[in-house]
Amino acid sequence: MVTTTPIAPAAPPVVRRGRLKLRNTLLGWTFLLPNFVGFAVLTLVPVVALFYLAFTGWNVFGKAPWVGLDNFQRMLHDPTFWVSLRNTLYYTAFHIPLTLVTSLGLALLLNRKLRGVAFFRTAAFFPYITSIVAIAVVWNMLFSPEYGPINQFLLRLGVDNPPGWTSSATWAMPAVIIVGTWREMGYYMLLFLAGLQTIPPELYEAARVDGANAWQRFWSVTLPSLRPTTFFVTVMLTIGSFKVFDLILVMTNGGPGQSTLVLSQLVYRKGFEENQFGYASAIAVVLFLICVGVTVVQFVVNKRRDR
Amino acid sequence: MKRSMATALGLAAAASLVLAGCGSSSGDGDDDATSPATAAATEAQDPVTLSLAGWSLATTPEFQELADAFHAENPNITVELKEYDAANYDTQMIADLAAGSAPDVYVLKNLKNFYTYQSGGQLVDVSDVSEGLGDEVSGLKAYEVDGATFGVPYRQDSWYLYYNKDLFDAAGVEYPDGSWTWDDYADAAEKLTPALAATGAKGTYQHSWQSTVQGFALAQTKGASLLEDDFGYLEPYYDRALKLQTDGAQESLGTVTTNKLTYQAQFGTQKAAMMPMGSWYVATLIAQQASGDAQKFAWGIAPAPQFDSSTTGTSKTPITFGDPTGLGINPAADDDTIAAAKKFLAFAASEDGAKGLAGIGITPAYVSDAVSEAYFGVAGVPTDDLSKFAFSTHDTKPENPVNKNTAAIQNILNETHTGILSGSTDVAGGISSAESRVKSEVAP
Repeated sequence: MVTTTPIAPAAPPVVRRGRLKLRNTLLGWTFLLPNFVGFAVLTLVPVVALFYLAFTGWNVFGKAPWVGLDNFQRMLHDPTFWVSLRNTLYYTAFHIPLTLVTSLGLALLLNRKLRGVAFFRTAAFFPYITSIVAIAVVWNMLFSPEYGPINQFLLRLGVDNPPGWTSSATWAMPAVIIVGTWREMGYYMLLFLAGLQTIPPELYEAARVDGANAWQRFWSVTLPSLRPTTFFVTVMLTIGSFKVFDLILVMTNGGPGQSTLVLSQLVYRKGFEENQFGYASAIAVVLFLICVGVTVVQFVVNKRRDR
Repeated sequence: MKRSMATALGLAAAASLVLAGCGSSSGDGDDDATSPATAAATEAQDPVTLSLAGWSLATTPEFQELADAFHAENPNITVELKEYDAANYDTQMIADLAAGSAPDVYVLKNLKNFYTYQSGGQLVDVSDVSEGLGDEVSGLKAYEVDGATFGVPYRQDSWYLYYNKDLFDAAGVEYPDGSWTWDDYADAAEKLTPALAATGAKGTYQHSWQSTVQGFALAQTKGASLLEDDFGYLEPYYDRALKLQTDGAQESLGTVTTNKLTYQAQFGTQKAAMMPMGSWYVATLIAQQASGDAQKFAWGIAPAPQFDSSTTGTSKTPITFGDPTGLGINPAADDDTIAAAKKFLAFAASEDGAKGLAGIGITPAYVSDAVSEAYFGVAGVPTDDLSKFAFSTHDTKPENPVNKNTAAIQNILNETHTGILSGSTDVAGGISSAESRVKSEVAP
């Protein structure tokens, strides 16, 4: 078994190796380029520009005058910024655990050998690939305070004063959270399913032999083995929740009043509706820093648990 | 072989990067390649091609109408249309102007954004054009900044009260007669609703826009201003709207937004006997009645209900609101193109231009008997005396005074609108919070 031939024999191959390296580098770059060009032009450059613009008073046309920290100071005294920050945290605080629990529950349910399991998996995934505008329109109708089926159902159940959902400042955010969770749970369910299938069955067998019941098996085998998946899902969910935008834009447009106005929509409003790109960039920077901060904390906590 | 392929690909990709870089940096617009004409034109007689921005060209014929009529009068100037998306018009136009690829003449679709274009140096001073225009052109003043004019209006929409004559007859309620205040309007809506209960129609329909309440309040209340942090003038208008909602005389805002009701369907399929709406809806309703999207019924337009009786009656001039739609010239165009563009602007605001626009159901900025005649010559336009009065006699105040803070204040007031009409806040509370927000959030 010592028949491995040496790759580079003598002098000429040294030159060729240099060439080979160059060729490989070039090839690598060529494969990267199509994606990288798009990324650079459409994402990287604007993002870098954003960090500069956040310190200017740019309003679309003409020069971008440097204003230092003015935009950030303005944010401190802007009640709308705080309202949207609060709303964003509200959405995040409920959307993450809800989605985590429902998607994990679905995954556990659909990880068994059931008849028609493929159908149910597809059904659960369907909302994720449905147009968000269609989702918003249909759910808005379901939530309609007077004629909507949801409130009709609640009335049947004996709820005297069913909530106004998207037409009420108190209930608009819960309504959005419900739809957001419903929409995304299928996607995260898929990730959990993949995670579940990597757990070696021997572990369950061993647990069973040791006399562990179903709950103990879940708690001591499934959850720990799923930790990499759970971590990934939590990070994705956190970032997604902080920058929730499209769903709210089409469902409530931030209303009624300011009850569902979130940070990313404030960025859009200040930038594209009021043409205050400097201020909008500053808010975007803050949103970015929040996302980075929370993600770093999650990584640190995860690392610690790894030990 | 493989290697040369890879190198070629790499080179191509690199080249495209460089090109993309060049493309984004040539934002000065001095080498504007979009106006193909007149590089060496010395005489005005040389053929010139103007590019003109428009939106939804298939359903918005006014741009083609203006372009064709102008070309007929000026055979050496051809106007080519460039289509934009109606909903994102201003965003796209701002991007094109910044990139130097905008058309020579562009439409100032919303007065709200005029300030952005003008203060950004994206409009040619067209004072010489406006000086040649008479008093017949309404809405011209909106485009004046420090004594100079930067845009010329070609259409001037105004808000009327649309009413369904068949439903009024069925309910046994008298038609509007031009003497209505808002209280008369509310009374009629309250009377119509129970009388029409069998048909399922409501007395009136108020669309979800803030304009339906705030536009009238701002235009009709003496001393009301959008730009000062005193919005007390909104209070009686919101009290009335809320009462109509709770009494069931009109759909609530929640029902309108959650069911995505459209005003075209509500009035067009006889779900409401009245509806305050802008003049653009006349042409839409006629077209939809012809196509079957709207039911066939007799309807008319009446002047908007008034704040008090001092402006009611056909001997007075009722006050309503509406923003003009104007044309502006892109400063990146060369001199000959700008000269031709100015001719085009003058034509769009002239009586001849107005007659053509009126002939397709548009409300032109130029007002005269001949224009009215052309307008009421359109098949389907209601020709009763009150409709004619409503079309020809009104004092239309702008909804969006030109100011750097207009967009920000309107956004705040829109939140006030949904807050109050959804019952999330009471009227006084909503208004006072809007006032304090304008104080703290809007730059003075």
